[in-house]
Amino acid sequence: MKAVCWMGKEKMQVHDVPDPKILNPRDAIVRITSTCICGSDLHLYDGFIPTMEQGDILGHEFMGEVIEVGPGVNKQKIKVGDRVVVPFTIACGNCHSCKDQLWSCCDNSNPNAWIAEKMMGYSPSGLFGYTHMLGGYSGGQAQYARVPYADVGPIKIPDGIPDEKVVFLSDIFPTGYMGAENCNIRPGDTIAVWGCGPVAQFAIRSCFMLGAGRVIAIDRVPERLEMARAAGAETLNFDEVDILEALQEMTGNRGPDACMDVVGMEASGHGAMYAYDRAKQLARIETDRPIVLRQAIMACKKGGTISVPGVYGGFVDKIPFGAYMNKGITMKTGQTHMMRYMGPLLERVQRGDIDPSFVISHKLPLDQAPEGYRIFRDKQDRCIKIVLKPWEQQLAA
Amino acid sequence: MQRSSASFDHFSSQLPFGPKTLVLGAAALVAYGLTRRSKTGTALAAAGGLLAYKAARGQSTESSTHAVFLLNASPEQAYKLWRNFKGLPRFMAHLKSVRELDSRRSEWIALGPGQREIRWHAEITDDTPNQRIAWRSLPNSDVYTSGSVEFRSDPQGRGTFVSANVRYGIPGGSVTSGLAALFGKNPEFVVREDLRRFKQLLETGEVPTTRGQTHGPRGIHGHTEQVLFREKTNLPDPQVALAYSHSA
Ligand SMILES: NC(=O)c1ccc[n+]([C@@H]2O[C@H](COP(=O)([O-])OP(=O)(O)OC[C@H]3O[C@@H](n4cnc5c(N)ncnc54)[C@H](O)[C@@H]3O)[C@@H](O)[C@H]2O)c1
Ligand SMILES: [Zn+2]
Ligand SMILES: [Zn+2]
Repeated sequence: MKAVCWMGKEKMQVHDVPDPKILNPRDAIVRITSTCICGSDLHLYDGFIPTMEQGDILGHEFMGEVIEVGPGVNKQKIKVGDRVVVPFTIACGNCHSCKDQLWSCCDNSNPNAWIAEKMMGYSPSGLFGYTHMLGGYSGGQAQYARVPYADVGPIKIPDGIPDEKVVFLSDIFPTGYMGAENCNIRPGDTIAVWGCGPVAQFAIRSCFMLGAGRVIAIDRVPERLEMARAAGAETLNFDEVDILEALQEMTGNRGPDACMDVVGMEASGHGAMYAYDRAKQLARIETDRPIVLRQAIMACKKGGTISVPGVYGGFVDKIPFGAYMNKGITMKTGQTHMMRYMGPLLERVQRGDIDPSFVISHKLPLDQAPEGYRIFRDKQDRCIKIVLKPWEQQLAA
Repeated sequence: MQRSSASFDHFSSQLPFGPKTLVLGAAALVAYGLTRRSKTGTALAAAGGLLAYKAARGQSTESSTHAVFLLNASPEQAYKLWRNFKGLPRFMAHLKSVRELDSRRSEWIALGPGQREIRWHAEITDDTPNQRIAWRSLPNSDVYTSGSVEFRSDPQGRGTFVSANVRYGIPGGSVTSGLAALFGKNPEFVVREDLRRFKQLLETGEVPTTRGQTHGPRGIHGHTEQVLFREKTNLPDPQVALAYSHSA
């Protein structure tokens, strides 16, 4: 089959590789019909998260048809022929974390848990195509994928709904939604959202679904700001204004009730602090550039909430912890506990509350994935979200 | 060199965790450093190597290995899975086979470094259903070994604490040389990972693995990284693939 392989920093290649096999009793094999490139993949593309191996197959946002199941799979839950969306977090369904609905913290799904334990104390769940510290599982930017614990994660999709409307249930819609839920929204609240990438677009819409009165969205890419405004958000361009001052002005010197960091470890910025982070990150002394996290802590109202769906990989410097402590702020974080949200959000799509395909800017054949990574990273060609089609040769953009 | 090693001793004595954690932490540092493929990366890797050496040297020769996990299962279920000795290789990565000779005695075959077979006969010294199993090797074995595993119901109702204690030695040799003969340089790691796999098997019916999965061309870098992340030694063989190959 064809698969998108990480061959080193900024080196993505499409290779012919053997088809995946059932390895464990609860595995299934899925023939992939749609798969996406995520902002999280960019952290790997840029080489900022350790424990990648040359030859790894990337991709964690995919859906398709089940073509084989292992002997241990509960056939009531999933069987050959089912059309499914696969969540990016791999969860066993029966450990203490899974029983507590903390699916992205599954105790059992990471075969390399010991590496994550050294970096984080305890290991979160395994993820598809996302470093060996988080499992080393081959991902879904390919024609087929092996899905472990297939009777726990994948959600069945009825025929008649096109891939484009449901494929984002694999990650970014639930992620934006959990980011909003973690803001602890009360009716009428003002939420500041850093980033207007694909995840943030869903976060902004979810804030309104959960009762926010105002959403202030921050980015610098014109078409992304425009898409945020289309959802009803007010926008700020961090190239043009001082974000802290602007937020003070807009909230009457009170600060947003909640601040959401939907940018993560590769935030851009200005001035001395940005130069400091960039230099340290390139020298590998600091793994992450926490520009947004710092701003969010400073901007947040007293007693407010900070929600961090943006991904961080390791260590950050110069976090204003004094501000965090003295203002009595609460922070909520995490990879998304996917299985909590997929069902309810599928229902919202079916009811017509939201059509997630609004975020798609490009559909490309799998062969063009390397090009796709580049334009997505560099925000060229008005690229916002790329869906890859593994079985098609030519596609209209 | 003298000065830098002295400062490393000082450094490691200041850390809030013990030498064993440090060995593995240092290994992670080596791994991280080597994936960077830059001068700083190499420096990080070298620092990790030195830390690992320092920490490993500090380890006591008397240590027997110990590990504990809280699992989401009853003591009865845990006891039953462990007591079926011929199933032990499903979660003890270094064991090739265990054969029960009678109700007390069994024959164990392990694979040491370089796939060398190591054999011993063991007898059960304690078998208290749902609570404790203990065993020791019989005279004339390749290694001396003894161990025990205990199952204790969590008073808070959160499952079962399973704790394992294992000792190995070579007749006439020290405990550590026996451990090294069996497990290479890191017995503590092996016992802990075995117990983790026991938890995984009990809670999910299988042990997670990526061994045998499809991937792109690894090249020299990819292979080195697999060794660093212990994917050549620590990942169990996939269960279904095994079953297929047995029936084929
Ligand atoms: N928690 C999870 O489970 C989860 C899941 C998916 C993605 N993520 C993370 O969410 C983040 C966003 O993902 P995405 O796909 O939308 O990525 P993306 O890279 O497309 O979007 C990031 C956006 O942030 C903007 N940005 C950069 N610096 C900024 C700054 N200082 N202030 C405001 N905006 C800034 C960029 O211009 C860009 O539009 C990533 O870190 C990704 O890893 C987390
Ligand atoms: Zn994603
Ligand atoms: Zn679990």
